[in-house]
Amino acid sequence: MERDLVEYIVKSLVDEPDAVDIKVIEGEKSTILELKVAEADIGKVIGKNGRIARAIRTILSACANAQSKRVILEILD
Amino acid sequence: MIYEFEGKTEREAIEMAAAELGLETDEFDVEIVESQAGGLFKKGKVKIRVHVRDSAGSPGTMAGESDSAADLDREAESEVPDQPERREKAAPDKPLLPNDEFERKMIEWTAEVVTRMGYPAKVTVLFREEKKLGLKIETENTAMVIGKKGKNIDALQLLANVYAGNLGRDDLKIILDSENYRVRREESLVRIAYESAEQVRRTGRSILLEPMNPFERRIIHTTLNDIVDIETKSEGEGLYKQVRVTFRGRK
Repeated sequence: MERDLVEYIVKSLVDEPDAVDIKVIEGEKSTILELKVAEADIGKVIGKNGRIARAIRTILSACANAQSKRVILEILD
Repeated sequence: MIYEFEGKTEREAIEMAAAELGLETDEFDVEIVESQAGGLFKKGKVKIRVHVRDSAGSPGTMAGESDSAADLDREAESEVPDQPERREKAAPDKPLLPNDEFERKMIEWTAEVVTRMGYPAKVTVLFREEKKLGLKIETENTAMVIGKKGKNIDALQLLANVYAGNLGRDDLKIILDSENYRVRREESLVRIAYESAEQVRRTGRSILLEPMNPFERRIIHTTLNDIVDIETKSEGEGLYKQVRVTFRGRK
């Protein structure tokens, strides 16, 4: 579920939605989402002073599921 | 105004109330209506009734004070910025229909994101101004969508604005609201401003308010702008600066 949420948000922010790739790593207590975007789009998902990345993480932590399992978003470059 | 909330513990109920009403926990009075302690196999239940002080800009601390400062406060109050001329607002039971493809896309984006968060939501146009588009989020989980001090709805709004920019509408500011949170938050900030001014005047010591975003700080600054013996200044770096309220003395 979180994967779809992040995918939807990120695709709406970048210039190359087709290059968006999210790998899900399920752990026992947390889920890690590894996000890859086109090189030129990295700035768009991080934002000035990390504002956009922070907003996405805030939204992730407000998810209905997040109450039971932590979701961590990693942006790969 | 009186609201009722229920939680597993008193604290949980109060926190829910704070998030839902967009207030700080010390800004309202709590009355415990019903309290069942949780047992080993049984969940506890606490029902509270929340009394929100009338916040029409006349904080109780000012009442009865008849010196010039109080008059100034009243003057400042009447200087609430005028309503922009071209403004279309949805009636409580009659939302505005989307005007164009852009509005339809913004509505779809917002509803889709909130629904994917796990909170099925309906989004409609709340108001239109020359440079603003207000969208209303309706969901059963308003408290979670708003978040503590509006953290979640502000994050959603930031992303909504980036998306709007990608659609070529940099000129427009998107405002997301749910259950009138924005108005309630603004009222609560005006009250915080007046109460801190009063405290600063009484004690002569400055107060540093909690970190706020630019919009929230602006409300504090403009609320206290016309009070001659009080000065406000932002301190710190980044998006979330803190406002310091200082006593300047009577002149």
